[in-house]
This record gives sequence, structure tokens and C-alpha cells, in this order.
Amino acid sequence: MPNSPGAISMRRCKPLHKAFLPGWPAAAFLLVFLSGPAMGVTMIVEDALGKISQISLPVRRIVVLNSDVLEVLRILKAQNLVVGVCSEVAREPEFWGALASRPKVGGWRSPNLEAIVKLEPDLVIAYHRNPGREFDRRMAALGIQVLRLDFYRIEILEQEVHTLGRILDRQPQAARFCDWHRRHLEMIWEKLAWTGDRPPVYIESYTDYHAAGPGSGGDEMCILAGGRNIAAGFTIPYPQVTPEWVLSQNPEVIIKAVANGNGYALKNSSPFNRRRDAILRRPAWRYIAAVATGKVHVMDSAIWTGPRALIGIAYMAKWFYPGLFQDLHPEELHKEYLETFQGVEYRGVFVSKPVRDKRR
Amino acid sequence: MNRQCPESLCRRYKADNRTKTILMFSLILLACVVAATGLAVGASDIGPWQAFAALFKDSGRVHSIVWMLRLPRVVLAALVGFGLGLAGAVFQAILRNPLASPFTLGIGSGAGFGAVSMIIFFGGFDTYRVAGGAFVFALLSALLILGIARMKNASSETMILAGIAQMFLFSSLTSLLQYMGTMEQVHEIVFWFFGSLSKAGWPEIGLAAVMILVPFPILLYRSWDFNLLAAGDESAKALGVNVEQLRMAAVLAASLMTAGCICFTGVISFVGLVAPHITRMLIGGDYRFLLPISGLLGAVLLLAADILGRTVWSPQVLPIGIVTSIIGVPFFFYLLLKKSREYW
Repeated sequence: MPNSPGAISMRRCKPLHKAFLPGWPAAAFLLVFLSGPAMGVTMIVEDALGKISQISLPVRRIVVLNSDVLEVLRILKAQNLVVGVCSEVAREPEFWGALASRPKVGGWRSPNLEAIVKLEPDLVIAYHRNPGREFDRRMAALGIQVLRLDFYRIEILEQEVHTLGRILDRQPQAARFCDWHRRHLEMIWEKLAWTGDRPPVYIESYTDYHAAGPGSGGDEMCILAGGRNIAAGFTIPYPQVTPEWVLSQNPEVIIKAVANGNGYALKNSSPFNRRRDAILRRPAWRYIAAVATGKVHVMDSAIWTGPRALIGIAYMAKWFYPGLFQDLHPEELHKEYLETFQGVEYRGVFVSKPVRDKRR
Repeated sequence: MNRQCPESLCRRYKADNRTKTILMFSLILLACVVAATGLAVGASDIGPWQAFAALFKDSGRVHSIVWMLRLPRVVLAALVGFGLGLAGAVFQAILRNPLASPFTLGIGSGAGFGAVSMIIFFGGFDTYRVAGGAFVFALLSALLILGIARMKNASSETMILAGIAQMFLFSSLTSLLQYMGTMEQVHEIVFWFFGSLSKAGWPEIGLAAVMILVPFPILLYRSWDFNLLAAGDESAKALGVNVEQLRMAAVLAASLMTAGCICFTGVISFVGLVAPHITRMLIGGDYRFLLPISGLLGAVLLLAADILGRTVWSPQVLPIGIVTSIIGVPFFFYLLLKKSREYW
């Protein structure tokens, strides 16, 4: 294993390996099954915060408060259980199909409680931070259980998919996705194990000059793809930086996350290319190696963290080590994911065109 | 009764003017020193002398860093600080209210709403689009105030009340849009409200300079009228000042300056409130000096805040809007507790 400063930290990777080992379900994650009152069973699970929650089974009606959960429910072929969705889902009708027209329960941060109650769900699934904990208490008072699962933190993504698979009795579907996910991640890591210095990378979040620092999804993806995030030593997830600081760090690759709204509905890469060109034109940045060599890439939020983070990691790995990952085709990986796990055809545009292609 | 002879009054008046002029030039000098410090400080390994030398000779990378990254930032901080300080002094003059600032009349809230509209409805992560939205709504909110004031003879009370109502309206509309936004848009909005000096290059600074500097001589020309207005609307009218017209023109000019200041930088609060207060404490209420000195002090404050923001937590940057508020709020408390009765 290389010992260079930029090398992927195995300390960081180890928990992932451990989490992905086939034997982990035996761990304390799924604790016990207890006899429940009405339908017989209550499952005790650990949520995204590590909090133990009791879920009464069976779960037949689900309200989802974010699109990441909805995507995972489609992975588990459990979309027919969804009786209500957050309003944001309606923004991507091309991707969500019939799910986009399911009853809306308001925004992901502050849903309409009455709309949820009206749908009589067995379970509401939300991010661990939003809505606030008061939401759980109010739902509990109305006899509705809430489960907090994130599905945007790669380190616990598979763990969470398994949890939901068990709750919904969709273990085979969960295992199939997790196997696929783990296999591709491990393939990337295996190749990275033989590389030396990691390329310095500047990852810019949605706002200009705000880096993806430690604790952000972008940082995690960069490390897993074999890059050295130049903002890794900062203390907050999205620090503001000066253009001069980026220049002084001289990153070899620049990646910017954008949210054009719906990459799946895009016909061409021009919205991404415009953002990329704006970065290439930033004052004095021509002295940055990434700009000089054209290694500036823009990535859609759809593959930036969330259940599809693996696709984003594959793109990153290929951008960091084009020679090493010649046989890695993120588009094909994405196609496989969409067709196999989401049941939708592969289309849309999710990254900017490489600069060289543009100049040709 | 102790009467002073006209000669001694005249001497005192001249001495006062001399002191104020010296203070003004001292502030220009101080602004230059702080600007030079800002130019010398940066994240890359360029020493102060190397940075100053690069101003005059083309040395590739260093020249580009100084001319394209450091100098625009310093110039923008000086311009925006000057504009906000001056606009604050103008608003305080025409409203005769110590709490008046570019944000009291809802101009800042209007600009914020414009920027947020662009982000939400037009995918406006583009600097010009967001700046355009902020600028248009800042002016629209000024025009709305002027319209209401015109119907009610432009009294300061009407303007303040209309401004506060407008501020709440735009703040609520901004919250509504924020509520509707995606996670990414909310992210962008939050950072716009923090303020930033990084996003503007020379073309943007040129535009901002026109909006900030063009109204300045016009306002300075009316400074005697502002002095008369300080004695009250009736007194000013008796001395031949067209109060309504003055108020309208001043609101328009100060709003244009405010829009020019915040459209490229986001919300930078408190400079417009605090700079005129400090100036008033130093030199009193003569608007011939109060206007330029408030501007200069605003420039010094913002330049210093930017240096602090870049260095205190380096290489992370504390957003300029946060730094100015952190400095401004304790100072404002100090003013409230100690000085307010003495100079207003």
C-alpha cells in the first residue's frame, strides 16, 4: 500500500470495507425482532443518527420526504407502497414517471402534517436533520411512525438500503443493489491501491468559491475516487475560500457540482459547459494546472452524493486517472443502474464535455 | 448674555473646517494604508514588496494575482464601503433618523428578493443574472417608496413607515421563495446573504463604480440643503429648500448607490448605519463634511473587515457580511448606551 501523503487513507476506507462485508448483517445493526401488538411484529432498527427506532410491521403505506428515499424504494421495487411524496418530486416528472403524480405532502423541510395524516401511512421516511425532531413527536401522537434514513452518506448507504430492505421484506433486492454497489467501489479501490501520489483536487460546491470541505459529500467522493481534496484540512463542510488560495494550491483537477434542476431531462451538455467555461475564464486561474490542462469538470447533483454517488465517483476516478481507468465507463454504469435498479431508460446529461472535445 | 464677536466666530468656523478637512485627508491616507495592507495580504506566497512591485511591472503569475485577484477585491471593498457609508449618511439626513440606513427603507430587502428570484426562477447561479435581479428590485423598492411618499408629501415618517412595511414584505417574499427552493438553491441563497467580495472582476467593478460615484457630486452639491433640512422641514422650506424634491432626488441617488454596492457583493450590513454615526461623533452634523467622511470611513471599515475576514481564519474566509455585522453590532450597542443623546 502506498504511503504517500495523498494516498487514500485505509483508516477512512476500513469502516466501509467492514460495512460492506457480507457478514455485517450479523452485527448489531438489526437488533431483535419482538412481538408487536396488532400485526404481530415490531422491528428494531438503527436510524441514520444511530438512534434505535421501533418499526411496527408490516409497512404497506409509505410517505417519503425526499427524493433519495424514493430512489431507494425504486431500487427495492417497493415504489407501489408509496402513497405520498414531497413536493420537490414533481420537479422531475421525466425521471419519476407516475411517482411524480402521487399525492404531495409539502416540502422536504416542513411538510404538511395534515396532508400526511390524510394519507394514513404506516411509515414516513425523512432525512435525519429535516424536518426537526418535533415532527417525530407530533407524528407519533397521531400514531404514525417516522424513520430517519439519509441515503446520501456513502459510508452508511448500503447499511441503510439493507435496513429498508428488511423493513419492507425486500432483502433480495437490497442485497442485489448492495452487491453491485460494493463490487464497483472495490474495483475502483483495487486499482487505486497501486497508485502513488494522489492528484490535488479543488471541489467547488453549488456556490462559487465555496469548497467541499471535510464532512461534505464531495470530500467523501473525492477520497473514494483517489483524489486529494485540497480543502480536506478545513474545519467546516462548505468553507468560503479566496480565488487566490485555490491558485496557491494549484489543483490538478477542478470539479464543480451544479444543480440545473434535472439532468435526466437534458438533451445536451451546454448548461454544464457554460459553468465549466466560466471557471476556465476566472481571473488569473489560467495559472492553475487544472485550468491550463483543461481538467475542469462540472457534475450534476443527481450523481453528486445520494444513491447514485457511485456514478459520480466513477467519473471522478476517470478524471483523476484517465490512463488507469480506461476500461471504466461511467455512462455504462449509469445506464446499468437506471435500467436495472430504477426501471427507467438511460438518458439525460450529467457532466460537462471534456475541454479537449470542445476544442476539436 | 455672552455674545461672541463675528470675527471670533469666523475664526472658529474656519478652524473647524480646517480640522474637518485634515480629518478627511487623514482618512484618505488611512484608506490608502489599509488598502495597501489588503494588497499585501493573501493566501499565496507573495511578499508585500513583491506584490507592490508587481503593480508596476508584468511578472507573469504574480502580476496576475495582484492585478486580477487582490486589487479588484481591495478596490471593490473601498468602493462598496464608500457607497454604503455615503448612502447611509444621505438616508439619515433626509429621514432625520439615526436608525436610517440603506436597509431601513427596504432597499436591501428588495435587492435580496431580486437576487433570490433569479436563483429560484431562472436557475440564476450566474453572477450577472443575480446582480441584475438585485439591482432592478433595489431600484423598484426605492421607486415604490418614492411613489408612496409623493402621495403623502414625502414626510420622513411616511417614508420610514413605508420602508419598514416594504422591508417586511420583501423579507417574507424572500422566505417564501427560499421555502420553495431546492436544497442547492437554498445553499446559494444563504451564501448570497452572507456577502462576498470574490465574485466581482474589473468589468463588474466598473459598473459598480459608475452607480456609486456618479451620484456623489450631486449629493455633495446639495449638502447645504441637507444641513438646512436638519433644522426641520418647515425651517428648510422657509429658507427656500424644496424639501419634497430634495427628498425624492436623494432617495433615488442613495438607492442607486446601494443597488450598485450590493448587486455584485450580496448583503453587507451595518456599514451604512455605523459609518455615518462614527462620523457624526467625530465632526458633528455638517453634511458638507459628513457625506464624504462617512463614505471614506465606510471604505476604511470594509477594507479592514475584508482583511480580518481573510486572515483571522485563514485560509477559510469569513464572509464579509458576517464580519461587518460582528464588528457593527457591538459598536451599535455602544452608541445606544453611551453617545446617542449627545450627537443626535
